[in-house]
Amino acid sequence: MIDHYDWAGGREAMLRFGPGTGPVVIAAMPLFEEANRTRTFIVTILRALAGHGIASALPDLPGTGESLIETEYTAVKTWNIAFSSAAERLSADNRPIHVVAVRGGALIDATTPAASRWHFSPVAGDKLVRDMFRARLAAAKESGEAIAADTIDLPGPPIELAGNRLSRALLRELEHSVPSDGKPLRIVRLDTDTLPADRHVAGAPLWRRSEPGNDPELARLLADDIAAWIATCAG
Amino acid sequence: MLPDDINEIDATVRGVLRDVLGLSEARVDSFRSETPLFGGLAELDSMAVAGMLTELEERLGILIEDDEVDGEMLETFGSLVRFAAAKANR
Repeated sequence: MIDHYDWAGGREAMLRFGPGTGPVVIAAMPLFEEANRTRTFIVTILRALAGHGIASALPDLPGTGESLIETEYTAVKTWNIAFSSAAERLSADNRPIHVVAVRGGALIDATTPAASRWHFSPVAGDKLVRDMFRARLAAAKESGEAIAADTIDLPGPPIELAGNRLSRALLRELEHSVPSDGKPLRIVRLDTDTLPADRHVAGAPLWRRSEPGNDPELARLLADDIAAWIATCAG
Repeated sequence: MLPDDINEIDATVRGVLRDVLGLSEARVDSFRSETPLFGGLAELDSMAVAGMLTELEERLGILIEDDEVDGEMLETFGSLVRFAAAKANR
């Protein structure tokens, strides 16, 4: 079902799944192009959670998805505020809120009150910026366009990176953003990822695919992990 | 533990190409040292190169500077493995 939430800067869409009572998972998508590549996968996880009797919500962030706000006017702080507003709305009926964040989604839930947090392959903002800038450099090289490596540190208009017009202020803010670490927190990563985690699982990084894909088997496995984690936190 | 010999690096590079480009196991298993990559593999455009490099960095625990990335390094499967091996052994 398509629902909405209000925040200080307007109204955004929010997909809802699962029952009308009990705990609610609020999901934070990866940022930018990675969101497009993983949306189907994340919806598959949330539908599998509904099979466990756990409700969930997937809010659009300002400047993403169906939002009326242009991407170049967004900021990490804005996303924090909007995400918390969405969580507040979900908890209005005294339902416990659990955050599920994927990749850069883990950068936007720091100020959101939650009974628990569950992060899949959380990534620091500087790595996301580097990644997008690298793709931009590669494209510039192909077209013969010159682009300075320190572009984002200089004042100037928004920069188009991986299909999004992003303000330099947002990029600098991202470079200093790290995944939230509010407890209780469980971190799950792919087994090809050398960073520490509570669990490593087999699978491919769908957020790197140029074509959006899905991995229903991995989605089910992660939904099982989330359901078990929420049960532990409720206990 | 980080991969430290050429066979493991070879397998890691194959795994990255499979996962990032969405290639089948059979297809990446068929890659030989002289198999052309950039220009020879339709799935490997400049955007995909960026994702592939980042994924290689993460899996091998290496850092690749943008000015090290050139046509020669991406010419064949063998040249990419040699580049990754030289980086990983540093």
